[in-house]
Amino acid sequence: MSSAPLARRPLGAWGPSPDASPGVGRRRLFRYGAAGATALLTAGPLAGCASPAGSSGPSSLKVWDLFQGGDGMLMDEMIAAVSRGADGFHVDRTILDWGPSYYTKLAMSAAGGRASDVAVMHLSRLAGYAPGGLLDPFDLDLLAEYGVTEKDFAPAVWKRAQHAGTVYAIPLDVHPFIVFYDKDVAHKAGLLDPSGRLAPMGSPEALLDAGKQLAKATGHSGILFGHVTDTAQSWRQFLALYAQTGASFTLPDGGPPKIDVEAAVKVVTFMKQLFDGRTNPNNLDYNGAMAAFMDGRGGMIMAGEWELPTFRKSGIKNLGAAPFPKIFDRPAVYADSHSFVLPHQDDPDPARRREAHRYVAEIIKQSLTWASAGHIPAYLPVQARPEYAELDPQSSYAAAAEIAVLDPPNWFAGAGGNFQNRMCQPLQSALLGNTSAEKAVRQMVREADTLLRQPNPVA
Amino acid sequence: MTTTAPAGATAPPHASEAPPEPRRRRSLTGGGALFVLPFLVFFGLFLVWPVVQGLWMSLTDASLTLHDPEFVGLANYAEAFGDPDVWSSLGNTVVFTLISCVPLVVMALVMALLVHSGLVGQWVWRLAYFAPYLLPVTVVTLIWTWLYQPDIGFGNQLLTSLGLDPVGWLSDESVAMWSVAALTVWWTVGFNFLLYLSALQSLPVTFDEAAALDGAGAWRRLWSVTLPQLRHTTVLVAMLQVLASLKVFDQIYILTKGGPNGSTRPILEYVYDVGFTGYRLGYASAVSYVFFALVIVVSVVQLRFFRQEG
Repeated sequence: MSSAPLARRPLGAWGPSPDASPGVGRRRLFRYGAAGATALLTAGPLAGCASPAGSSGPSSLKVWDLFQGGDGMLMDEMIAAVSRGADGFHVDRTILDWGPSYYTKLAMSAAGGRASDVAVMHLSRLAGYAPGGLLDPFDLDLLAEYGVTEKDFAPAVWKRAQHAGTVYAIPLDVHPFIVFYDKDVAHKAGLLDPSGRLAPMGSPEALLDAGKQLAKATGHSGILFGHVTDTAQSWRQFLALYAQTGASFTLPDGGPPKIDVEAAVKVVTFMKQLFDGRTNPNNLDYNGAMAAFMDGRGGMIMAGEWELPTFRKSGIKNLGAAPFPKIFDRPAVYADSHSFVLPHQDDPDPARRREAHRYVAEIIKQSLTWASAGHIPAYLPVQARPEYAELDPQSSYAAAAEIAVLDPPNWFAGAGGNFQNRMCQPLQSALLGNTSAEKAVRQMVREADTLLRQPNPVA
Repeated sequence: MTTTAPAGATAPPHASEAPPEPRRRRSLTGGGALFVLPFLVFFGLFLVWPVVQGLWMSLTDASLTLHDPEFVGLANYAEAFGDPDVWSSLGNTVVFTLISCVPLVVMALVMALLVHSGLVGQWVWRLAYFAPYLLPVTVVTLIWTWLYQPDIGFGNQLLTSLGLDPVGWLSDESVAMWSVAALTVWWTVGFNFLLYLSALQSLPVTFDEAAALDGAGAWRRLWSVTLPQLRHTTVLVAMLQVLASLKVFDQIYILTKGGPNGSTRPILEYVYDVGFTGYRLGYASAVSYVFFALVIVVSVVQLRFFRQEG
C-alpha cells in the first residue's frame, strides 16, 4: 500500500477530510451515513433469506419442533431412522422451547409466509391456526401414496385434526393425563386386582377411600397432585372429571361459554374433597409433587404420561400406570396430541411439499420409538404391533386414547394457551381452600366469557 | 443533546472569550457526530421507530397473524380503560413498586453504612451483599422456588421447626406478592448498595471530622452530616428503583406466572399475554401506552418532589 491514496481521499471515505471545512464534512458524512443505513436495511433481509439454505443445503427439509430432553433424543433417533438409505431425508431440525412462545413464533413465521416445511403442534391449538390461514392443508391422496390414511387413526383424534372438513394435522401421539402408582404400596393398600393392576374405582367415594388407604400404606400421603403456580395441571384434572359427568363444555365465538355449572361445581367440590390437605396434600407445586412421589411420600400421582422416563430413572421398583380413573358416569381422560402440520408458505415448492408429506408419513411409522417415552402412538398400525403390547406400563393406558378429551376448540384454548392458565387460577384457589367451589366455577365462566368476547385475531 | 450540554453550561462565563468557541463547535460537529452516529442510528431504528410504530399500532386492530390491520381509532384505549384485568394488573404493579422500593433503598443504605463504618472483613460483606445481583433471573427464581416450596422448602421447614404454621409463599393470594418482593430485594439490593457505598467513599471526611471535633456523636453525624450529603445519591437510587420496580416482569413470570389467581400479575405480563399469547398487538400496544403514560406521570411527580426537596 502506498501512501498516495491517503493524500487524495476517495470520495466515499468516512469522516471529514483534513482540508474540508466542517460544514461540508458534516453534510457529506450524513449523506453517506444515510446511504450506508439504507444499504444495511435492504441487504439485511436478503441476507437473512439466503443464509439458511446455504448452511444446510437446498434439499434439506426444514422441521420445527418443541421436543427437548428425552423426547428430543427420541425424535433424533426417529429422524436418523428415516434419514438412512438412498431415499432418506436431509432434515434441518430446529428445536424451540415449548410453551406460549413456541406458538407465537410458529404463528409469526406462518404469517410471514416463509415458515418451515413441517412443524409440530398440539392438536388442541389447531383452532387458533387453521382458520386464520396459518396452516396449509394436507393432501390426503399424497399421504395415502405413502401408506397413511384416515383409518389409521382413532376417530376422536382424527376429527380434531380437521377444520371445516379439511385435514390440517397428522397426529403423532396421544399424550393423556393419567395416574402413576407404586405397585407395592397399592398392593399394601388393597387397590390391585388379581392380575396386579389398579382395580377400577367407579365412584368418587372409591377414589377418596383409595387416597386414605394409600396414605396409610405410605405413612405420609395418599395421592399427589402438583398444581400450585402451574398453568395447566388443575385444568387437565378438572376437564377429565368434568367430561366424566357427561356434561359438555363448549366455547362458541362471541360467548357466552356453554358450561354446565352444576356439573362443574360437583367436580370442583370433589377435587376439594380429594385434596383436602390431609390424606392428599393440596399445596404442592409440580416439582414438589414429582419429588414427593419419587421419595415414596405418596402412593399415587396424577400426572402426564410424559413423566414416565423421569419416574423410571428415579428407581421406583414397581411402577404402575393406568388411565385416569373413571369415578363419574362415563370414562374420560384429558389428553392432547403432538401432531405434524404444514405451516403456511406463500409460495410452496411442489416437490418440497411432496417430500414434507412423505416425511410425515415415514416418521409416524417410527412411533414405536416414540412410545418408549410413554406416549401412545396415534398411528394405529404401530399400536397394534406386538412390540407395543410388550411395553409396560405404556400399553396399560393405551385405552386412554379412545376416551381422550381435548380442550374445547377456540383460538385461545389449548396447550400453552392463555385459556388453560386462566382456568387454573380459580381452580388453584379452590384447591387451596381460598375460595368455594361455586365461586371458582363462577370465575371460570367469567374468564371464559371475557376471552370469548375478545375479537378473534385469527379468523 | 448530551454533547451540547457542556458547551451551553460553560458558555456564560466564557461569553467574552471568542477564540475557544469555534474550536469547540467544530470538534462537536465533526468528530463528535461521527462517534454518536452509530448510536443515533440504532436509537432511531430500535427505540424511536418502534415507539412511533407502537403508537400507530395502538390505534389499529393489528394482530400477530395474517390480516391487514385496520384503523380503529381510540377503541383499544376505550377497551383498556374498561378492562378489569388492566386495572388489577396495574394495581399489582403499583403494590409491588411500593413494597419493593422502600426496602431496596433503605436496606441498601444500611448495608452501605455498615460496610463503610469499618466492619471487619469488608470484602466479604461487599461480596456477600453484591453477589446475588450477578445471578441471572432464572437462577434466582429457581433457588427461591425451592425455598418457597410448600412441602420441603426451607421457609416452611424453618417455620414448622419453630412450631409455627407453614405459609403458602406462592399459593396464598395475600402472601405471594410479598414473596416476590423478598426475592427481588435479595436479588437486586446489591446494586443500590454499591451506588451508596461508592457515594459514601467519595464523601470528604473533613465535615465528619469537624463535626466529631465539635463533639457530635456517631448518630448525630450520621443524621446531620452523612445523610444530607447522600441526598443526591438517594434521589438517584430512588428514581432508578421506582422505574425498575414498575417494569417488573421476568421474576414474576418465571416464579408464579402471575398467580395465584392473578394476584401477582404485573401490567407488563398482561401486555405480554395479550400481545404474544393472544396475538392482539393493537390492544397490547394500547395497554402499554397507558402504562407508559403512568410511568411518565410518576417520573415527573418524582422529579418535582425531589427538586422541591433539593
